[in-house]
Amino acid sequence: MNSLLLACQILPLLGLVLIALLGNSEKKIAAISFWTTHAMGLSIISLLVIWVSLGFPDHEYEWFTLYERGSYQFPILFYLDRISAVYLFAVWLIFSVIVRYCRNYLHREAGYKRFFMTIFGFALGLNMVVLSGSIDMLFAGWEIVGISSFLLIAFYRHRVQPVRNALRAYTVYRFCDIGLLLGAWMSHLLFHESDHFSNLSVLFEHSAPTPASYPALFLMSMLIFIAASGKSAQFPFCFWLPRAMEGPTPSSAIFYGALSVHLGVFLLLRTMPIWSYHYLTRTVLFLIGFLTVIIASLAEKTQSNIKGQVAYASITQVGFMFMELAFGLDMLVLVHFLGNAFLRCYQLLVSPSIVAHMLRIEGAIDRTPDVKPSSMQTYLPLSIRDTLPEVLQNTLYVFALQEGNLELLVRSMLWIPLKKIGANINRVRVSVKISVGVSALLVLIVLLKTALINSTYLAAPVALAMVMASLSAFSQKHSFRQVWSAVALSALLAGGSVWLLQPTALQDLLFFSTGIIPSWLLGMLVLSKLPKKENFIDSPFAYRGMAETNPKLSLVLFISFLGLVGFPITPAFIGEDLLLYHASSQYAWMAALIAICFVINGIAAARVFLRICMGRPSEISELLKHTA
Amino acid sequence: MTVAPPKISLDDYSDTQTFDLNAAIQHISHWLPTQGPIKDFIHHNTLHAVQHHPFHKGVAIAAKVFGARSYLPAADYQAMHQQGRIKNFAINWAIAHSGCASAEIPALWKKLFAVDSCDHYPPVSLANHGIRNNWLTYLEVDLNSLAHPLLFRLLANFLDQGISHWTLSKADESFWECVWRLTHNSLLPLYPFNDASVRDLLSLPTHDVILFCLQRIVGSPAWYEQYLLEMLLAHPGWAGMVRLIELDPNALLEHRQISLEQLIAVELLAELAILTKKRGVNFVSIAQTPHANDIALLSDYEDKAIVPLTLKVWHEAMEYSLHSELLIALKSQNGSTKPKETPIVQAFFCIDDRECSLRRYLEELNPAIETFGAAGFFGIDFLYQGFDDAYPVAQCPNILTPKHLIMESNLQPEIDKNAVSEGLSDLHIKPHSLFRGWLFTQILGLGYAVRMLWDVFRPGSQLLSIKKLSEVDAHTHLHLLRENDELTADGKLLGFSLTEMADKIEGLLRNIGLTKDFAPLVVVVAHGSSSTNNPHFAAYDCGACSGKPGAPNARAFAWMANHEGVREILRERGIDIPVSSHFVAALHNTSRDEITYFDKHLYEQYPTDVLQIFQKTMQDALQKNALERCRWFELGPTAHSGDEAHEHVVTRASSIFEPRPELNHSNNLYCVVGRRALTRGLFLDRRSFLHSYDAATDPEGQLIVKILSAIIPVCGGINLEYMFSRIDNSIYGAGTKLPHNVIGLLGVANGVEGDLRTGLPSQMIEVHEPSRLLIVIEQKTALLDKAFAKLDAALKEWLDHDWVRVVACHPDTRELFFYHRTGWEAVELPLDAITPIARHSEHIIVGQQATIPVHLLRSNA
Repeated sequence: MNSLLLACQILPLLGLVLIALLGNSEKKIAAISFWTTHAMGLSIISLLVIWVSLGFPDHEYEWFTLYERGSYQFPILFYLDRISAVYLFAVWLIFSVIVRYCRNYLHREAGYKRFFMTIFGFALGLNMVVLSGSIDMLFAGWEIVGISSFLLIAFYRHRVQPVRNALRAYTVYRFCDIGLLLGAWMSHLLFHESDHFSNLSVLFEHSAPTPASYPALFLMSMLIFIAASGKSAQFPFCFWLPRAMEGPTPSSAIFYGALSVHLGVFLLLRTMPIWSYHYLTRTVLFLIGFLTVIIASLAEKTQSNIKGQVAYASITQVGFMFMELAFGLDMLVLVHFLGNAFLRCYQLLVSPSIVAHMLRIEGAIDRTPDVKPSSMQTYLPLSIRDTLPEVLQNTLYVFALQEGNLELLVRSMLWIPLKKIGANINRVRVSVKISVGVSALLVLIVLLKTALINSTYLAAPVALAMVMASLSAFSQKHSFRQVWSAVALSALLAGGSVWLLQPTALQDLLFFSTGIIPSWLLGMLVLSKLPKKENFIDSPFAYRGMAETNPKLSLVLFISFLGLVGFPITPAFIGEDLLLYHASSQYAWMAALIAICFVINGIAAARVFLRICMGRPSEISELLKHTA
Repeated sequence: MTVAPPKISLDDYSDTQTFDLNAAIQHISHWLPTQGPIKDFIHHNTLHAVQHHPFHKGVAIAAKVFGARSYLPAADYQAMHQQGRIKNFAINWAIAHSGCASAEIPALWKKLFAVDSCDHYPPVSLANHGIRNNWLTYLEVDLNSLAHPLLFRLLANFLDQGISHWTLSKADESFWECVWRLTHNSLLPLYPFNDASVRDLLSLPTHDVILFCLQRIVGSPAWYEQYLLEMLLAHPGWAGMVRLIELDPNALLEHRQISLEQLIAVELLAELAILTKKRGVNFVSIAQTPHANDIALLSDYEDKAIVPLTLKVWHEAMEYSLHSELLIALKSQNGSTKPKETPIVQAFFCIDDRECSLRRYLEELNPAIETFGAAGFFGIDFLYQGFDDAYPVAQCPNILTPKHLIMESNLQPEIDKNAVSEGLSDLHIKPHSLFRGWLFTQILGLGYAVRMLWDVFRPGSQLLSIKKLSEVDAHTHLHLLRENDELTADGKLLGFSLTEMADKIEGLLRNIGLTKDFAPLVVVVAHGSSSTNNPHFAAYDCGACSGKPGAPNARAFAWMANHEGVREILRERGIDIPVSSHFVAALHNTSRDEITYFDKHLYEQYPTDVLQIFQKTMQDALQKNALERCRWFELGPTAHSGDEAHEHVVTRASSIFEPRPELNHSNNLYCVVGRRALTRGLFLDRRSFLHSYDAATDPEGQLIVKILSAIIPVCGGINLEYMFSRIDNSIYGAGTKLPHNVIGLLGVANGVEGDLRTGLPSQMIEVHEPSRLLIVIEQKTALLDKAFAKLDAALKEWLDHDWVRVVACHPDTRELFFYHRTGWEAVELPLDAITPIARHSEHIIVGQQATIPVHLLRSNA
C-alpha cells in the first residue's frame, strides 16, 4: 500500500520528466502519456481496492524526513482516508479522460509537449495535495498546481490577453497563499509535531479544552478560508475563474471545471477539525458560501458566453459546498463534489456544441427581449410580477453584468494602495536609495558591534526595508533588473531580520539563501543577456516573446523565477517555512509581514517573467524596410 | 435631467467642422472584416478592403495596416523548391513577370536562396505602431486591457442571440440608449460611465459625443479618422460584426439596433472615463505628445507600402508551378476519353473541390456514369424552412436574394416529441446554477462520468446526437408548387409556379450544357457535412448555399424536373426530357462519406435497377474516397483498406475530441469551367472546383457570364479566405480552435473577454498550400473578352487585379492563354514537361502525405 501511495506520487513526475527528456515527437509524447496515465490509473485503482478491502482505514505513511533541525521537521508524509480516496478517484477518472481526449484534440498543436508536461505537472501537484499528510506537503502540492494552472492559462503566449489573465489568476493564487503559508506556520506553532492531518481530529477529540486558544484558532481558520476561497474562486475572488478559460478547452475543463476549483473544498475538508469547533467560524464559512451563491448565480444569468456561464455555474455549486460544510455535511459534500466535477468537465468539453444545439434543437430564441429575472419573477406575486420597477431591473442587471464588482473591489482594496506606496518609493533615485541603504547598514553594524542596542529591536527597521523593497518591486515597470534585485533583496532582508531576531537560526537562514541567491544570479544573468536594443523604458507594456526567440534562455529564467519565489524546487521552499517558523517563535507580526512580502515578491517576479518571455516577438521584419 | 450637460458648445470643437464623421465611418468600415454571425459561414475575400489594388500591392498595404504577414516565410518556399514542387522554369517565369531589370536577375536569384530568419515577423503597422499606441505608451496606460473587457461584455450581452438567461436589449432600443439606461436609470451605475466626467455626455447625441471625445483625446482633427481606425483595429472582430449588423439587420435572428457610430461613441466615452480616472482630468492628448508628428499616417501606408520582391517572386513561382501542372496535363490529354457508350446514369454534383475525387471514382468504377458539376444550389434559390426549423434560411449564394419560401412538412402526422426530447438527454447543454443546479449536480453529476467515458473512449455512438440539417428525415415533403400568389408576411412567395420551375431547371441544364441525351436516371447530389462539437460547422457545408447543406435544393430540383407540367414547358423550349428519364435527389455527407437518397416514396414508383447499380457503385466510390482522404490524417488508419478508412472518417465526424472532422477545401487550387471531357481521366488530388460548361451551346457568352458571376465570389472567396487564413492565421485567421469560446451565438473568441475571431481556424487550413485560384475556362478568348465586359464591375476587379488567375482553353485546339488586364498571353510551357501517368487513383495515393501533382489516368498505362 505504501509503495502504491508512492507510485501515485511518482508516476506523474516520471511522466513529466520522460516527456521533457524524450518527447521529441508527438507520437512519443502520446505513448509516454498513455502508459504513465495507465500506470498511474492502475496504481490508484489498486490502492483504492486494497484500501477498501482493508475496511477504509485512515492510513498514514512517512517516507523520510527531508529536513530536520531542532524542533523543526519537514517529513515527506502521506495520508489516505475517505476524503483523499474520493478525490483520488475523481483525479484518476478525469485525468484519464482528459489525456485520452487531448491525444487527438491537441494533434499538431504547436505546444503539444508543453501542454502534456504541464498537465502531468498538474497531476503531480494534485496527487501531492490529495495524499499529503501535513499542511507543509499540501502547500508544496498547492504551489505546483498553482504554477501549472498559471502556465496553462498562458498557454497561448502569443496573445496578450491569456498572459494577462494568467497573471490575474496567479495574483489571486499568490495572495491566497498568504493564508496557507501562515496557516502552515500556525499549525507548527499550535500543534508542534502533531500537525499531521491524522492527528488533527484526535487532537481535538481528546483534549477537552482545544489545543490552542480560541483567537488563535479563529485566526487560523480565517487564513484557511482565504486560501480555500482563492483556489475555489469564492467570495470575493469569483472573478478570476471565468477569465482563466484561456487555454485549450480540455485544460479549462480539468482545471476550472473539474479538479483545481474543488481544491479549496478539499482543504476545508482536511482541516475541518480546526475550523468546525466553533459556530462563529462556521458562520463565516456559511457567509462566504452564501454570498458566492448569490453573486455567482446572478452573474451566471448574464453571461453571454458559454464558458463563462459554466464557470459561474460551477462557482455557485462550490458555494453550496461551502455552505454544506458549514453545516458539517461532509459526506454530502463529497457526493456533491463528484457530481459537480464530472458535470462541469463534460459541459466544458462539449461547450463548442452550443451553437448547433441552440440553433438546431431549440430552434430560434424564444425569449422575450427584455430583462426577465425569471427565477425571481416566478416567486413574486402575479400582481407585481411585470411591474418590477425598471430601475430595479436595471440595477440587478448591472450588478450581474459586472459580476458584483468584485474585481474592482479587490483591486481597490488590495492592489492600488500597494502600488501607490511602491510608486512613491520608486520615485526616489537609485543613488539616494543606495546611499541611504549603505549608511543604514553601517549604523546597524556599529550598533551591533557596540552592543548598544538589543538586536531584536533592529529587526524592525530591517523588516521595514524588506517591505519597501517588495513594494518597490511590485510597482516598478521600467527596469526588470531592478525588480529582480528588489525581490532578491527583500527575501534576503527577510532572512536578515529573522537573524536579528534569532541569531541561532543562522544555519537555517543560510540554507534559505542557498535557494534565493543562485536563483537571483541566474535571473540577472539572463536579464543581462537580453538584446541591448530592447529599450524597456520606451515600451513598458510590450511583451518580448523570448520563449520563441530564445527558448533556452527563457527556460532558465523560468527556473530562476521559480527559485526566487520559493517554489518547491530549491531549498528556498523549506527555507520560507523555516523563516516563518523562527520569526513566529519571537514575534507573530513578523511572520505575517514576511509572508505578505513573499507573496508580493512572487507577483512582481511573475510579471517580469511574463513580460520577457511571453508575447509575439516584437522584432520587426527588416526585410520590408530595405527591400526597394 | 437636472444636471446641466458639461460645457460643450460648438465653439469647443469649431475647429472640427472640417471633420466629417459620416465620411470617416464610411472609410473606416471599409477596413473591417465582414464576417457574419457564425450560424451561416460565407467565404469571402479576407482582404476585400484592398481589392481595388493589384493583388501584390493590395496585400502589401493590408500588411502595413493590419500588421500581418503577406506571404509564407521564405524558408517554406525554399523547402518546396528543394522538394521539386517549385520548378526552375516557374521561377524564371515569375522573375520575367516581376518587372525586375534584366541586369539584376542574377542578384535576385541569389537573394531568393538567402537565409533570413526574421522575415516572417510582422511588419511595423498601423494597428500596432500607430499614433494611438504611441500615445498610450507615453501615458503608460494599458487602455485596451481596461476598456475592451467592459466594451465586449456590453456588446456581447446586447447582441446575444440566446446564450445568456437574461436578455439585455429591450424592444426597439438602440445600443446607445441601452448604455444610457444602465447608467442613468440604475441604482448601481454602469462602470466606467458613472464617472462624473462622462456621465452626462451619455444624454447627448452620439455625433456630438464622438466629436467631444476626439477633441479631448486626439486634439487635432487631422488625426481623428486615423485614431478611430486604430481604435477599431484593436478589436476588428466586434467592430466588423457591428458594422455588418448595422448594414444588414437580418443577419441576426433577434434584431438589434446598433451602429458603428454608437459603438465608437461608447468606446470613446469609456476611454475618456478610464483615462480621467487614471491620469486625471488634464491627461495629455495625442496632439500634446512629443514626437506625435513623426508617426506615419494611413495615407503614408497606402502610398508607401512596398511589395517584398523576393517573396513575391517566390509566391508567384509557387503558384505558377502548381498551376502549370494542370495546364500541362490539359495540353497532353487528348479528348478520346469520352465515354463511348451512352451513359446509363448522369449525376449532378456541386462544383465543390471535395466532390472532385468522388466523381473521379464513380467514373473510374463505371464508365457508363457521366458526371456534371454546377454550383451546389442547382440554380434554385429560395428560403427554406425545414420541418423542425424555427426560422427560414437562404439556400443560395449570398449574392442572390431569394424571393421564394419553401416549407417542409411531414408526411406522417407525428406526435410532438419536443416535450420528451427536452428531458434528460440535454440537461448538460446549459448550466443550471441555483437550486435546480444544486439538485441536478447531486443526482445526475455522477451519471456524466459514465457519459464522458463513453464519449471519449467510444466515439461514434449516438449518445451525443444533435441532429444536423444534413441528416434529414426521409419521410418529409417539400411544399414546392405555389397554390396562390399571396405573399407571406416577409414578402416572399410560398413555392414556385410551374413556369418558374421550368425557368430554374432550364437555367441549370443550359449552364452545364445538358439539353439532350438524358440518361434513364439522373441523380442530383447535394452535399453537406456533419461534425460534432464544432462551432464552425457552417463553414463545412455547401459554400454555394451560404454554408448550409444543399439537400433541399437537390430535392427541389429532382421534384421539379420529374414534374410532367414542368417537362411540358421545357419541351416547348427545346429541352426534351424523355418519359423514361427520372431524377433522384441525394446528399453526400463529405465528412462521413455517406450518401442519403431522398424521397424514396417518389423514386420507388420508377424501375430501380439502374438506381441499384448506381447505389452500389456509389458505395464503392465513397469507400475509395474515404481512403483517399485518410492519407491526410496522421492519426488515421495505416492499413490500406476502404472499410477501415470509411470507419475512420465516420468516427472522426462523430468524436467530440476531433477538431478536424474533415479538411474541407484545404488545397483548393483550380477551377475548371468546361466539358467533363477536359478533366475526365485526370487525377486532380481533390484540388479542383469543376463546373460543367459547353462552349458550343454558348455562342453569345451569356452562360459564361452567369457561371462566372457565381464562381468568382464563391470559389474565389473560398480560395482567398483559405489562403489568407493560412498565411497569417493569427491576424487573418481565427487562430487555433482549441481555446475558442462561443460568444452570444455570434462567433467565437479566445477566452471570455476576447475579440471575436474572424477567418478560419488553424485546424482547417494548416495543410493548405496558399495559392490563388486558377480558373480555366474552355472558351475562345474573343468571346471571353465580350463576356468579361458584361461582368459586374466588382467581379471584374477580381480578374483585372489578379485576385484570381484566369486561363482560357480553346475548345478545339486546347491552346492556352493567360488573362491579363492588358490582354491575353499565350501560355508557353516547357517542352520537356510531362504529366505523370498512372493506371488507377489508388496507385497514386499510396504512401503520399503531401499534395500530389496532377496525374493522367490511363487504364492501359
